[in-house]
Amino acid sequence: MEYLVSHYNYWIYTLLMMLGLYAMLAKNNLVKKVIGMSIFQTAIIVFYVSIGAKREATIPIIAHGHGSDAAHAAIDAMHYANPLPHVLMLTAIVVSVGTLGVALAICLGIYRRYNTLEEDEIQEQLQ
Amino acid sequence: MNILIIILLVAGVFLFLATTIGLLRFPDFYSRMHAAGKGDTLSSLLMLLGLALYEFHELNLATVLVGGKILLITVFIFMASPTATHAITDAGFESGARPWQKEKTGEGD
Amino acid sequence: MIWQIDLSVLTLIVICGFATIMVKDLLSAAIIFGAYSFLMCLLWTEMGAVDVAFTEASVGAGVSTILFIATAFQTTRKVKSRKKGRIFSKIVGLTAAVIMGLVLLAAQNNFPGFADPGSPASLHLSPYYITKTLIDTAVPNMVTSVLADYRGFDTMFETAVIFTAGLAVIAILRRVRLADRCDLPEPYTISAGYQDTIIRFISRQLVPFIQLFALYVVAHGHHSPGGGFQGGVILGASFILLAITYDMDLLLRRVNEKWSVLLGNIGVLIYAGIGFICLLLGANFLDYSILHKILPATGPVMARSHGMLGIEIGVAIAVMAIVITIYANLASHGKLDKGL
Repeated sequence: MEYLVSHYNYWIYTLLMMLGLYAMLAKNNLVKKVIGMSIFQTAIIVFYVSIGAKREATIPIIAHGHGSDAAHAAIDAMHYANPLPHVLMLTAIVVSVGTLGVALAICLGIYRRYNTLEEDEIQEQLQ
Repeated sequence: MNILIIILLVAGVFLFLATTIGLLRFPDFYSRMHAAGKGDTLSSLLMLLGLALYEFHELNLATVLVGGKILLITVFIFMASPTATHAITDAGFESGARPWQKEKTGEGD
Repeated sequence: MIWQIDLSVLTLIVICGFATIMVKDLLSAAIIFGAYSFLMCLLWTEMGAVDVAFTEASVGAGVSTILFIATAFQTTRKVKSRKKGRIFSKIVGLTAAVIMGLVLLAAQNNFPGFADPGSPASLHLSPYYITKTLIDTAVPNMVTSVLADYRGFDTMFETAVIFTAGLAVIAILRRVRLADRCDLPEPYTISAGYQDTIIRFISRQLVPFIQLFALYVVAHGHHSPGGGFQGGVILGASFILLAITYDMDLLLRRVNEKWSVLLGNIGVLIYAGIGFICLLLGANFLDYSILHKILPATGPVMARSHGMLGIEIGVAIAVMAIVITIYANLASHGKLDKGL
């Protein structure tokens, strides 16, 4: 029980990731597959952000950061959340929106060519 | 001062609850949009006013800036949210949603 | 790190995730996906990741939803349901998901607990960033200083990736010659004479404030959550608002195709250009402290802060142009004449 409570973020991110994976594999409609890809990506971002979280820590912006004397005050690393996963995930979110744009453009191109968005109808037309 | 903040926040949350119940229970599209538009805007405004008043506990430059920004958010929500409700209702009217008639139960929408 | 908020928001997220995949209407799926993104943003704010939450709120819940709606507008809105077919792929999908989920959960025994301050991820490199960011760069926002200064190479190539995505959308969708335009029937008839005064007036009044806020987010990214990406996406979203409430023609009169691709180029050029100026002055690539030789009245530490502001401006310009390009091409199916 203690293990379950202390690790619950990993259960949640695994559940969301498998939800996205199932949607990408088993759904018929192409746009639903793209939605599954987006859910997959946000689940990965939940994982990394939850690694960077710290109990009783504040956001990674140094308070009272103005002025030249602030640089010499002691900054305790325990009081701030870990900024490295946040940086990596900022890049991941922006890349994911680029990927989403290209994926939806490909879906539009497929619709223009085959006049349907369902995968099995496209496979029938291909044969 | 704290009592006023608590009253504002509780009123905002209660109005949000009423909005959600109305959204689920009203019989047709137009009355649901009525509930969503008015209740949503007013409850957001009340909660943000409560938070802005909380910032004004002590008056120095930093808290006045933060409170001023929250009040500006209030102004923009008051401009944009009823317009969004109007847009959705217009779209529903254009696509042919009919108002709920009393004698035909289970129709409309 | 209040676990009650965590668990309730996570439950809502899983419900929204299920609903998005199961719903039979693409427009409803797009809206529920917007709600899912907003709940994710709330979760990350509660975990302490305010910059990530800001980016997700502007990018994921704002622009992604409108891209899905533009796609559903140009193709079809219905998702055909099959009662009996495709059992094989459903079984394969479920088996793969369950097996992979079990493998991932079995690997968790060695992971540190949630929100543990002594976990290995927080012990080796990040204390250096947290303690030294004010001394090295005079920027209180640690995420901005790591993004734009300590890890500046990553951000430059990420901007290049965004630009490449815009180019890919143009390459896939854009049809210029009349021979390429195949005649698909219009999925929805836009009532041509329908102009709504209230919506147009309010959006016209709001767009200057949105753009001013976007510029504020870019410039204030050193002291508050924000930065180049968020500001660029909000700038692009203001143009998309104009395109939705008026006509696509208005957007294309203001930012036509030549200018949007050119602005994307200029954004990446500003970023790489600042790096090259640092090379020309004698330091390493993207080492901003050498810029104090050409900027008046700054020391090496403040020069790093100003260099960061310069590249954030480049990133904002590039992201704005690409968001406008992707939306314009998706909403008008490549023809860029009329759209959503």
